Amino acid sequence: MPSRYTFQRRLPWLLLAPSVIVLLALILYPLGFALRNSFWFWNLQTSPVPLYHSGFDNYRMVFQVTPFAEALKNTLLLAGIGTFAQFWFGMGIALLLHTHLRGMGLMRALLIMPTTLAPVVAGFLFRYLLEPKGGLLPWLLEGVGFPVPPQGFLGNAGTALFSIGLVDTWQWTPFFAIVLYAGLLSISEEVLEAALVDGASAWRLFWSIALPLLRPIAAFLVMIRFMQLFNSFDLVYVLTSGGPGTASRTLSFNLYREGLVNYNIGLTAAMTWLVVIIVSVIINLYLFFIYRKREW
Amino acid sequence: MRRMQTRQRLIVYALMALVMIFFLGPILWFILLAFRHPSEAYTLPPQLFFEPYLGNFSETFVDPGNNAPQLVSSVIVSTGATLLSLPFALAAAYALSRFAMRGKEFIMNWYISLLIAPPIVFVIPYFIVMSRIGWAGAYRAMIVTLQTLAIPFSVWLLKSFMDEVPLDLEEAAWVDGANRLAAFFRIIIPLALPGIIVTSMFTFVFSWNNVLFPLALSKQSTTTLPVGTISFFASTGVYWGHIAATAVVAMLPPMIIFLLLGRYVVRGLTFGAVKG
Repeated sequence: MPSRYTFQRRLPWLLLAPSVIVLLALILYPLGFALRNSFWFWNLQTSPVPLYHSGFDNYRMVFQVTPFAEALKNTLLLAGIGTFAQFWFGMGIALLLHTHLRGMGLMRALLIMPTTLAPVVAGFLFRYLLEPKGGLLPWLLEGVGFPVPPQGFLGNAGTALFSIGLVDTWQWTPFFAIVLYAGLLSISEEVLEAALVDGASAWRLFWSIALPLLRPIAAFLVMIRFMQLFNSFDLVYVLTSGGPGTASRTLSFNLYREGLVNYNIGLTAAMTWLVVIIVSVIINLYLFFIYRKREW
Repeated sequence: MRRMQTRQRLIVYALMALVMIFFLGPILWFILLAFRHPSEAYTLPPQLFFEPYLGNFSETFVDPGNNAPQLVSSVIVSTGATLLSLPFALAAAYALSRFAMRGKEFIMNWYISLLIAPPIVFVIPYFIVMSRIGWAGAYRAMIVTLQTLAIPFSVWLLKSFMDEVPLDLEEAAWVDGANRLAAFFRIIIPLALPGIIVTSMFTFVFSWNNVLFPLALSKQSTTTLPVGTISFFASTGVYWGHIAATAVVAMLPPMIIFLLLGRYVVRGLTFGAVKG
């Protein structure tokens, strides 16, 4: 029956349609809104509607009025170094778990706890720990003679961004650890045994066999985590509010400041599009170079 | 595998002990803070044993209890977002799991690109449109916009669970005269039920932990617990006792859910991409 055949062919698209339509509405509206308003002067504090057409002024202003270049640099540093640290730190823990000694199962279950926290809560944990007067970490570090900046690690321009990265690393290293551990488990014993019989060292086993086999998982994890770090907002908000000055401002926090604090909607719209373009470039470069072959 | 020597084992345990202290210590230290009298928040050297003080919890949740409504809001928003995403995600996941279609990979990538896009980009326009359509501060504003994360996540995770329901069973039902819809409800839904529950639990946790959407879209009476925690950073100074009490209450549901999820944690955190 041709009609039934046509229906069968269209059925998957009919099933996909509701979610795709809802999501498109939820994405295209804001993007269109931002595109239009990026060419208008509009500050919500002075007017409920856009005031006048301003050409590309907003795009220029993004660089002149806000520390956009600095925020971009901070964001890339945070995402790049953070992802790298979390991956290798997590890999080390995964290898420890993989020894299968007694108690590792329980430790693995408890290890994931930092990842379950809301990032704001993780932020509070460390604000308390890092408090310059009365915080546990500065007290411990001073005890062993480590120099602690007088404004604290979060109030010092040289250490603020690093501290945000440290907290994120604390929160997400367990995620890498347990997923990479699951990946190690999926490598067949036979492959490892065969290599051992051939006289491979543990070091060689890891670099030449385990790591290449983990590559698809690793590529996926790194992409997700890099982008989540790239979007960092909650931690920045709670730990430093982008400070001191603008030393630890990320792109997301920069957008938040201009949009929801200064209510500079036109300028925020222009910045939104700059960020959308940057993110698209990053994702596509990644998909092209690292992620090309994958079967769902 | 070769047996490890005692010395090697001791080294592994010592390293694991450091790892556990590093990752769990800050959480335990903060839970202790919630039970300390406010005057002792900064006592150094640290006191591990002290008279527990419950005032922080009673002041925030009972009398005057400003945070109790936020707890209710968190439950409403997270449950609402989870329930709303399910029908959309179930249909899409079924389509992606059961049909050969052109562009399937593109669609899967499209969903995930939403998960890794910066949410702040969407939130500011939402903030303006919600006040225009009269949804400003309403629960539905948060529940609907959270779908940008809830639906793509649930589609991915549900698909991975549906992939595991054998096609034979469904085909047997068709042979028995059931149409696709009946087979979906009689075969797929019951067999994928554990997966549906796991997916819902993850969506709940992600919605619960989300701060950006309620921060921009809620009003004082509808704001959620994590946002309420932030509001303690008032000009009057940081009141750590209250922050810790509310934050401890806010962190409990996700922790308990993750412990219940057990072996599904890996799969959920990777959107179903790694089975675990």
